[in-house]
Amino acid sequence: MSTRKRPLSFYLLAGLTTVFLVYVYAPMACLYILSFQGPEGGMSFPMVGWSTHWFQTLFSGEGQGLGDVPGAFQRSIRLAACTAVLTLVISVTAGLAYRRKFPGSGAVFYAAIASMVLPGIFVGFGIALMFNLLGWQVNWFTSGIGAQLTWTLPFGLLIMFIVLGRFRSSYEEAAVDLGASASQRFRWVILPIILPGVIGIAMAGLTSSYEETARTSLNVGMGNTMPMEVMGLLNAAATPVLFAIGTLTTLISFSLIILSLVVMTQLAKRRSMRTNA
Amino acid sequence: MTKSDLPATKTPPRRRGLSRRGLLKSGAAAAAASAFPAPMLWAQNIKDVTITHLGQSYSTIPEIEAKANEDLGFTVDMQTAPDPTTHVNRLLTQPKSVHVTDMPNTNLKYFTGRGVLMPVNVSEYKYWDQTLSLFTKGTYPDGTEASKQGMAPIKAQYWADENAQEYSLTPTDYLVGVPLYYNADTLGIRPDLIGRPIESWAELLNPEFSGRVALQDGVSIGVADAAMALEAMGEITYGDKGNMTREEIDKTIDVLTALKREGHFRSFWTNFDQSVQLMASGEVLLQSMWSPAVTEVRTRGIDCTYKGMKEGYRGWYIMMSAMNHLEGLERDCAIEYMNWMNSGWAGAFISRQGFYNSVPENVKPFMTENEWGYWYEGQPATEDILNPYGKVMEKAGVSRDGGSIWERMGNIGIWNTVMDEDRYLVRRWQDFIAA
Amino acid sequence: MLSSQTSPSRATIPPKLASVLQVTPMALVFLALVIVPLGLIFVVSFLDYNFAQVFPELYLETWVDVLTSDLTLALYLKTFKFLVIVWAITAPLGFAIAYFLAFHLRSNWLRTLLVTAIAIPFWTSGPIRMVSWVPLLGREGVVNQTLMGAGLIDEPLGWLMYSEFAVLVAYVQMLTMPMIATALNSMAKIPPSVIQAARDAGASEWQIVRDIIFPLVRPGLAIGTIIVTTAIMGDVVMVKFMGGSQVNTVGMSIITDLNAFMYPPAAAKSILLLIVVLSIVVSLLRFADIRKELRS
Repeated sequence: MSTRKRPLSFYLLAGLTTVFLVYVYAPMACLYILSFQGPEGGMSFPMVGWSTHWFQTLFSGEGQGLGDVPGAFQRSIRLAACTAVLTLVISVTAGLAYRRKFPGSGAVFYAAIASMVLPGIFVGFGIALMFNLLGWQVNWFTSGIGAQLTWTLPFGLLIMFIVLGRFRSSYEEAAVDLGASASQRFRWVILPIILPGVIGIAMAGLTSSYEETARTSLNVGMGNTMPMEVMGLLNAAATPVLFAIGTLTTLISFSLIILSLVVMTQLAKRRSMRTNA
Repeated sequence: MTKSDLPATKTPPRRRGLSRRGLLKSGAAAAAASAFPAPMLWAQNIKDVTITHLGQSYSTIPEIEAKANEDLGFTVDMQTAPDPTTHVNRLLTQPKSVHVTDMPNTNLKYFTGRGVLMPVNVSEYKYWDQTLSLFTKGTYPDGTEASKQGMAPIKAQYWADENAQEYSLTPTDYLVGVPLYYNADTLGIRPDLIGRPIESWAELLNPEFSGRVALQDGVSIGVADAAMALEAMGEITYGDKGNMTREEIDKTIDVLTALKREGHFRSFWTNFDQSVQLMASGEVLLQSMWSPAVTEVRTRGIDCTYKGMKEGYRGWYIMMSAMNHLEGLERDCAIEYMNWMNSGWAGAFISRQGFYNSVPENVKPFMTENEWGYWYEGQPATEDILNPYGKVMEKAGVSRDGGSIWERMGNIGIWNTVMDEDRYLVRRWQDFIAA
Repeated sequence: MLSSQTSPSRATIPPKLASVLQVTPMALVFLALVIVPLGLIFVVSFLDYNFAQVFPELYLETWVDVLTSDLTLALYLKTFKFLVIVWAITAPLGFAIAYFLAFHLRSNWLRTLLVTAIAIPFWTSGPIRMVSWVPLLGREGVVNQTLMGAGLIDEPLGWLMYSEFAVLVAYVQMLTMPMIATALNSMAKIPPSVIQAARDAGASEWQIVRDIIFPLVRPGLAIGTIIVTTAIMGDVVMVKFMGGSQVNTVGMSIITDLNAFMYPPAAAKSILLLIVVLSIVVSLLRFADIRKELRS
């Protein structure tokens, strides 16, 4: 279809997509612009001059309305990395289980849905309470990661459903017929096909962990995570430092996504070369 | 699990002799550390201690944390709770993850019979004699009794005994905590957009400002503001508007619901920034505000005043408490930290944001004469007033809205409150928001 | 198509047992950190309470109130209203944009870029994202300034911000993305040869969309719908901020209770909410069983 003239629907849909992107980015644009607010300016228009003052404040690590952002950032990244790895491993194995019917499949699926639905603060409160009743101390590594998994795993599982939906079991059967062992099948047949989705799960785990507060806040123990710190800052004299954080976050996530997309396209290329060969 | 009282954390068995041991140990140690040059042994022991101070962004200020670490021989680690709810839930469900905390007076209602907070013996706190009588006795400097409508300071200042289960209205030897900051809140208004004087809380519900008024979100403060207005209008006469009966709650909610249906309220603000946004953008012409938020609006070059109303102010205060699980060195350091908080430097820092400190005479040496005159005495500024970060917040010649500390704090109409009928109030508040 | 159960398996572990083992880690996490806390919540909902305390005494009034009051009805009506409106906008919008990305764009590079652009705002810190609506929709915001500058309105529109409208605007902005993502995933599964064959047979674009693409994308849309449903039914942040705390939904009501430390009514409302949402999901799965799709 690549050589044919563009139909009318192309232009209509292109217009719709453009309008949608403008809609999505309008508030983001306000955020980006306001992060360059002058040193005297506040968190809304008008702009009182232009400056990189708020970025400097952010990097220097001191000034009004900054709180403990650098420390919180480190803690969040550490937490997000651990959560992402666990989400990846647990979701992929669980997702593979769903290629067959098995007893308890419904129970686990609905537990995942329940985990998504329950108000986050309640799940967080329940976990903190349970730790308290058991006499355990909350800690980012135990209850912190655990609380975050209740949020990231359901998404991981749903993504696996989408990914495996694309996976044709005939590939795996062919491998079985050729005498491949379970680990060989996973390594050489399943993994290359689901790899882009697997990276997607890791990314989703990373970002939703970085974002989560409702479940996390009662369970990380000492030391705030990034969104907790930002919410705390909003309660007092907030400054455009918050917008500077937002702009930087966008830049970082943009780079991360681009990076993972590049990796995925490389993998896809390699795979298509292999299948074509 | 089912038979234990759930979120109400189990009261730990009383540690007998805590106060005696605490007194012997920390009393002696604190005296040694502060009154005399610190002995080497003490300094060696405490240097590995870390005190975690859980607060909210108005108290967990990095500059104060840095200064504390400079002045004290142990480490102070401040943590900002993302919201008031998480703050209280953390203290109740995970008390051991915190050493010291500071809370608004209203939260103290949740800490009776819990065994979470530690009683501080009067003798362990160095500045109790210099603390204002508003906190120690519930009276103004002239000896008259301060308003007791709502959670007045005296209602949660003393534990009845060393078991720290119930509050006492009369002084005992056991402090619930150390009062830190307090203030008198009133309506912030935009004189440029209103164009006439605003002198009564009744204006908050005046139809003239329909759609341009905000309430503070949260049942206890929103209702307290509304009650001030309704009483000023003569709409409802309360027995004690800080502790309403069910009938009074019903009447209040009915009036508010009718107003909400007419679109009277622009928004309910949840945090500092929202209140500033609403005012600075002109969304709202008058609303109950915090003093630093008014200042923030003004530093943007927007006219905003914060004068007292004839019915008085709405008062509040912040109390610093230590957690009951502390023992030995940690307990000593926590007490030392609480003493340091009111020794002057931190109080002066906070005073420059428009709050008052409970031991003003300690604060005075840390402020310039101009600052002291402006913030505490209601004098016109003799030179520019700077905020704690060195930014000009008021020009020379201006004096503080509402005047001196006692012109403001001496005229409290209601204290922030959590009512006995809180459960009923929250249920009716739900109806109000759904309307 | 062959099913894996019928194929000769040389694995040493029986397939069903393998599946059970594979799902165990996830099951354990959910059991310990969701089911057990849920059990606690369930117990709490039947207990008496006051001032951040729950007493071990049976108190049924909470449930009576939750199940019979006009408040509950009002809360669900409002929440469903949001859900229906947001779904009716995001599902067709997500489908259309995904269709455009999958079948109209020729450049892989451009497609990747657009997908990234759509995903980015999703990844900016939630509270910051909420705050950034004010300079746009507020009384003195960009939209009002523009409209007044163009002479279309005389005074600023108040309902743009802190209103139900504002809540909808934020929901649609956030929740179109999962619809696009899930629809796009399903569309990518459709072999181009199928479309080509239909086109060669003379089918119009509309016929292809209706008879071939839509049925195949249904499971994807079902997953998207699950995400939208759970997000809206459980939302407490967006509705609170965008509605200026003046719009009461199920989630908002739970948060009001929790902020006042009234755990039992919050618990009862959460359990009712869970039952309602699970029923919605069950009926959605009847429409498109996403798990069965995997095994075909």
